[in-house]
Amino acid sequence: MTEAELDPVIHSASRLRVVATLAALDRGDSIAFPRLQGLLDMTAGNLSTHLRRLEEAGYVQQTKTHQGRTPATYVELTPAGRDAFHRYTRTLTELLKGAQP
Amino acid sequence: MGTDEDDAPLDPAAGLAIVAAQRRRVLDSEVDDRVLFGTWGGLWLLGYTVQWWSAERSPTGTSTAPAGAVFGALMVVGLVITLTHVGHRSRGVRGTSRSVGTMFGLTWFAGFTGQGLVVAGVVAAGADPEVIAIVANGLACLVVGLLYMACGAMWQIRAMYLLGVWVIATAAVASLVGTPDGYLVMAVGGGGGMLVGALVAHLVRRRA
Repeated sequence: MTEAELDPVIHSASRLRVVATLAALDRGDSIAFPRLQGLLDMTAGNLSTHLRRLEEAGYVQQTKTHQGRTPATYVELTPAGRDAFHRYTRTLTELLKGAQP
Repeated sequence: MGTDEDDAPLDPAAGLAIVAAQRRRVLDSEVDDRVLFGTWGGLWLLGYTVQWWSAERSPTGTSTAPAGAVFGALMVVGLVITLTHVGHRSRGVRGTSRSVGTMFGLTWFAGFTGQGLVVAGVVAAGADPEVIAIVANGLACLVVGLLYMACGAMWQIRAMYLLGVWVIATAAVASLVGTPDGYLVMAVGGGGGMLVGALVAHLVRRRA
């Protein structure tokens, strides 16, 4: 197990925080953008950038809807994103075990 | 690819710490079972104690109308606190948990509507006050206990499942004891049981 096996899309502090947050929701749930932002303490612009990157990788799905007249965006982890997250944390755990004498 | 300014490569321990911290943060933002168990435990303890106190002084040995009204008002308070808490904590999340939650909420509503109508039937049939009191409480607790057990089973929350078993057992004992002492069984066993449930939920949460 080496660092090289870590998924480069998730292997960044900010995107790991985003993915870990989405993975902590129940499977099949999506979260409104402002609430996700509140759980991450990120600026909207910063969060959007990371979400776009995760969406390009197929790990995140963003759905735009309307609540009354206000537009709302809901974000969720795709099954591929959830798999990638579990793979990533498994690798971290094994790296940590390997690092110990 | 552009550089992520705040994103130096992570070492494994820091990465796992981030995952644990965010999981905790999400958990803290969701419905808090301590609030629900604590609220209902306190209200049951108070409400049943009031009914017992009035029943001790009533010629029929059952709760008086004013004490029943106090109990009813306390249950309404519990319902308002529960709905407010759940509504607030589930805002901005949709999908499976919302549809499951809605159906679960409707199940409570159906259960208590059914309970109310059965009790109305028993009253209309001319049952005496003690029979009415036992049927009304027994059925209500059966609804509560079974739904706690179902919820505990579905979401794998052991404390909730056990609390359901405990509520049914308490109500069964209270029914066999009869009035007025059955109210005291409900106050201590039911209310106390839920307060213990809140404590257990707190300990489980701290360990999580």
